[in-house]
Amino acid sequence: MPFPSRALALAFGLAGLVATSACGPNVHSATVRGIGYVRMDAVVKHHPLYGQLKQLDDAIAAINLAAAAPHKPLTAAQIAAQTAILRREMADAQARTGKILAQKQTEYSKREGEAVAAALVAAKVPGAGRFAAAQMSQASAAQARSAMQAAGKDFMDYQQSVIAQGNAAGAVVARQLQEQAGQKIRAKASQLQQNETDLSLQLSQQSAATRLSLKMRLGNLALDTATRKKLQDQLAAIHANDAKILAAQQQRDRATLAAYQTKVEGQTRAAIASALATINAQTRSKIESERNQVGAQIRSLGPPSLPPNLPSGVKATIAQLQQQYTAQFRADAQSTIAQYEATSSDLERQFAALHGADVGATGKAAAELASLQAQRADLYDKMLAQIRSEADRIAKAQGFSTVFTNITAAAGGYDMTNELIKDVEGLHE
Amino acid sequence: MKNTTMLKRLFKIFVCAVSLGALIAPAAIAADITDVGYMDQAALASLPVFVNANRELAAYNAQLNAQFTAQMKAAKTDAQRQSIQLSFQQRFSDKQRELIGPLFTRAQLAIASVSAAHDLGVVVDKRIVIYGGTDITPEVTKLFLSSQAIAPPTATPPPAAIGFVDQTVLDSLPRVKTANDAMAKFVAAQRKTYAPQLLAAKGDKVKQQTIYQQYQQSLTDEQKKLLQPLVTATKNATAAVARQKNLILVIDRADVIYGGTDITKDVQSALSK
Repeated sequence: MPFPSRALALAFGLAGLVATSACGPNVHSATVRGIGYVRMDAVVKHHPLYGQLKQLDDAIAAINLAAAAPHKPLTAAQIAAQTAILRREMADAQARTGKILAQKQTEYSKREGEAVAAALVAAKVPGAGRFAAAQMSQASAAQARSAMQAAGKDFMDYQQSVIAQGNAAGAVVARQLQEQAGQKIRAKASQLQQNETDLSLQLSQQSAATRLSLKMRLGNLALDTATRKKLQDQLAAIHANDAKILAAQQQRDRATLAAYQTKVEGQTRAAIASALATINAQTRSKIESERNQVGAQIRSLGPPSLPPNLPSGVKATIAQLQQQYTAQFRADAQSTIAQYEATSSDLERQFAALHGADVGATGKAAAELASLQAQRADLYDKMLAQIRSEADRIAKAQGFSTVFTNITAAAGGYDMTNELIKDVEGLHE
Repeated sequence: MKNTTMLKRLFKIFVCAVSLGALIAPAAIAADITDVGYMDQAALASLPVFVNANRELAAYNAQLNAQFTAQMKAAKTDAQRQSIQLSFQQRFSDKQRELIGPLFTRAQLAIASVSAAHDLGVVVDKRIVIYGGTDITPEVTKLFLSSQAIAPPTATPPPAAIGFVDQTVLDSLPRVKTANDAMAKFVAAQRKTYAPQLLAAKGDKVKQQTIYQQYQQSLTDEQKKLLQPLVTATKNATAAVARQKNLILVIDRADVIYGGTDITKDVQSALSK
């Protein structure tokens, strides 16, 4: 390049640099100090995909709004019918999850067994061949598995029936004890009432002569007003005194009855608890005994036991394999469990909604809502990533040290929002 | 000769351009703020120790929920229900402190230690930084996971030009709270009015759209009337306090992890005047 051209280029370059810094923000001024910020909400509104985002937001809000509408009150029969459907769905979900988990567990146990057998054979452990052969005979293993499942199911049925029997027995005992307590309390109340009647009679007998005399004197029509009033007052005083004595007795009796009731109820609760504890212990013992029996049966059907006296290295390998397959099973089972939890939670909300609770969208609406929310989150993340990338480019070009978003207020710094909006709008083209 | 004249002319252009730049640029040039750090809190929270602790806490919570429901069913009076509620909240908090507390303290110490080493005045959440700043996530994670004991930093963070306000405190100011409550009441009333209309228009998309737009418009109008003036006043008061304290920007406390200048009280008193 000849000298004047190079000088020209240099001069224009420098002039351009100065002109750029004069046209763009002075990012190093005292009020900016290298700090920029972006009002993200404003920029998002100018993104080419904002229309789609708005549509999703509206659809989500509309579902939520529709879910807030008061539903027609259901009759008891309708509630019962819908409750039965929900219970069935819940039971189906439980059964489905149980089945999937059992299948997974069987599959992972099989893989683990095969890996252990391979490790034993590789380490030339005596007895490894027998273990491997037993492990490999999957035809019998499949039979054993179904027998194990059947045994497991029988045990579950037995457990449920024993618990149901225990509960029924407990309920009968509790009812009997409560009835006995009720009888005792009623008897005490009746005894106290009888005492009060006796006292009332006694009081009226005690003052009968005086009252009769006063009434006779009051029957005399020739009495002057003052004397009549005096006699009436005396009669009223006798009545008041009797009533006072009786009221005091009634109050004492009420306190006595309340204390007695508390005592009897306490004794009854303790008696019920003791009876239930005995019944529960019997139930547990029956279940325990059945479990041991079924356990022994299952163990005999289960995977072959490892050869004894394994070298420590092989033991460590086997432990590591067991750990690895357990972790794999857990991870795999997690999605099934998560699915079940989501279904279960939705059904619970539907139960609550049946009884008038405002629980938002449920069933199909809830599924649609969840799908829309996922779409929205995905779209928003994409838009944000694009905006951030544009902001990053501008910030770098203009020499900022840090650029923020989501700020509360600005006393300085440089607002990059408008430049970013222009840039993002350019994405349309 | 021709070259010399041209050079002289170019030199004049250059001098003019530089003078123009100097004229336009403000007189005061201050040092750029470079003491801003950021951290990916989500990355720290996804470390196995945190995940396991949270899982354990969730399992405990599920167990607690079952007991809570049973006890609430058996409760006869409001006082009993309240007492049960308090007792369960306490049990949950205790467990949370027991499981997460030590991890949280160690994470805080690691953040403070790394920030001090880099002389950072403020460390914020990664989400609010679009460009620049120092990412301290890897260093904090490394220190957190190491077996070494982390000593608390000997000095407080240097004064930062980035301030913060605790929005929850500002939201609890009587007039803000009254406005928020009034807005919530308004939203509930509008939902009561429009939701049945929307349900009745099932199948008629155009009608549904119209109803929904009316509903949204009513909310927007009320928001402008009730909340917008307060939002503007808060923003102005915050900016004024920030100017007094020579701060550049103010962010929400929820986004601050370490350091920064807290101006909540000043903004609170400015708004209470």
